[in-house]
Amino acid sequence: MGRAFVLGPLICIVVLAGLATLHGAILLLSIPLILVWVESLWRAPDPLNLRAQREVSLERVPPQTPVKVKVAIENYGGDLEELQLQDILSPELSIVEGSARHLISLRKGARFEFEYTVTGPRGAFAFERVHAEATDHQGLGRASADLPTSGQLLVFPKLSRVKYVPIRPRRTRVYAGAIPARLGGAGVEFFGVRAYQAGDAPRRINWLISARHDQALYSNEFQQERVADVAIVLDGRERSNLFPGRNSLFEHSILAAGALADALLNQGNHVGLLVYSRYLQWTLPGYGRIQRERILHALSRATPGSSQVFEGLQYLPTRLFPPESQIVIVSPLVEDDYQTLVQLRARGYQVIAVSPDPVTFEERLLLTRGTRIPRREILLAARILRMERQWMLRRLRRAGIQIVEWDVAQPFDQVSRAAFGRSFRFGRPL
Amino acid sequence: MTVIALILSVVVGEASLAWGYAQVGLPHLVRWILAFGALWLAAIWQRWRWFAYIGLTFNFLAAALGLWFLNFAPGWMFAGAIAGLLAWDLTDFRDRLRFSANEMERRAVETRHLMRSAFLALLGFGLAGLAMAVKLQFNFEWAVFLALVAVLGLLQLVSWFRKRS
Repeated sequence: MGRAFVLGPLICIVVLAGLATLHGAILLLSIPLILVWVESLWRAPDPLNLRAQREVSLERVPPQTPVKVKVAIENYGGDLEELQLQDILSPELSIVEGSARHLISLRKGARFEFEYTVTGPRGAFAFERVHAEATDHQGLGRASADLPTSGQLLVFPKLSRVKYVPIRPRRTRVYAGAIPARLGGAGVEFFGVRAYQAGDAPRRINWLISARHDQALYSNEFQQERVADVAIVLDGRERSNLFPGRNSLFEHSILAAGALADALLNQGNHVGLLVYSRYLQWTLPGYGRIQRERILHALSRATPGSSQVFEGLQYLPTRLFPPESQIVIVSPLVEDDYQTLVQLRARGYQVIAVSPDPVTFEERLLLTRGTRIPRREILLAARILRMERQWMLRRLRRAGIQIVEWDVAQPFDQVSRAAFGRSFRFGRPL
Repeated sequence: MTVIALILSVVVGEASLAWGYAQVGLPHLVRWILAFGALWLAAIWQRWRWFAYIGLTFNFLAAALGLWFLNFAPGWMFAGAIAGLLAWDLTDFRDRLRFSANEMERRAVETRHLMRSAFLALLGFGLAGLAMAVKLQFNFEWAVFLALVAVLGLLQLVSWFRKRS
């Protein structure tokens, strides 16, 4: 409520009452009110002419890293008796030192600087404005402005190190890489034997086979190794990620997607990222460090969401993925995802599903956080759900999809090391 | 400092009004005024800023009522009204003070504000007291004159606001 809108009518009432009753003392009662009013008008702040500058000590940090933010305000207008400054921050950021709010008096031409330290969870945070509100001493006259500033803070997920992700898509790109291309040529691994061709190096001649044939030489062929197209699909649907009490598996999925992207890019692949959430966020495929940055940006901005359209995985835009390429889907998986994943396999994609285990996650939540449901019933329900999930995963494996089950209580690098080790079996063709 | 000043303003305001009413033998109204004071203190504790508006209106109406109907000693009524005004001002100031980041910043703004508020209160009280002491006969001519001054003042205010916007 505007203070002036209370004081004004009160003055009128008192003055009118004094005039109506012809009572001098009542009229005199209005003197203090009028004094306050006049003083406030006299000293009311002019429209603000302030400029703000901001410096953020670090722009790209891992979660919960302290970042110093320095804001300088310069007054190009008149004297300001009481100036409230508030740096508008995302509610997710928390201030660990200093303050983003100040109440000061700022003379004409003066400069005021303040500094504070924030930490935040994964996300992209923009520092776009500083709110300034000047009042006179009575707080009756006000002038406010949002001072534009620039600055952003990107809190990237803290990636665990995955050394190697074995993938074997049917089709590879033309550039040399680390993925066996199922084509004979220059390489390391033995691929086959063919008739000698002019120009073959003598050390490639397979003398054992050549000795068995009269007047014929045979050369060894090695498997070409090339880079592949890889699409990482991050499932951000609320129905598969969110659990009671706003607990979410999504942060774990982000970590897994980031670690996989990092490893696949290090292997030289052409990697893209699709966040399948309230809407589709597609990071175009690319190579190398720049692509790693792009993917990290996308991951830092990713949020879980729900929409009727993307309720199931059936609207996965497969046209974005090159035919017969590799798809890595990071999802807790729900029952009706089975159909979509099998269809992907049927279209010739190689599919790896990294699945944070939602049943164990929820079971642990219920058992540790306390609930009215008896422990025995929780365990029984978890057992039934686990059986259903295992049944679905078994069917997916049968369809040639490689499954990496992940109990999120364990670090992803450990799980991935075990899963992508020597025992890793590539999906057989459908 | 502000909280103490705020509580003192409420206590002094309500006590002045209550004392004024008690002097003419209205214990029933005194109890109501004291109860209102207690409620106002509770509102300060609960940080109900809106209550200060009710408090300001209540104090001024109670003071005007006392002056008009019952011809009280005006000093207590003025004290009640001005203390109410101070309390209203300090309630908002206390809220603005939450923006101060550290003790030094807070002290600087607080001291300046309290000194200026105290000066305004004293000035208001002094002017009113002076006018009461002079005891000008307030009649119809005075009323017309004041009404003209008020109209002129309003016109001046309107033009001033237009210039600013």
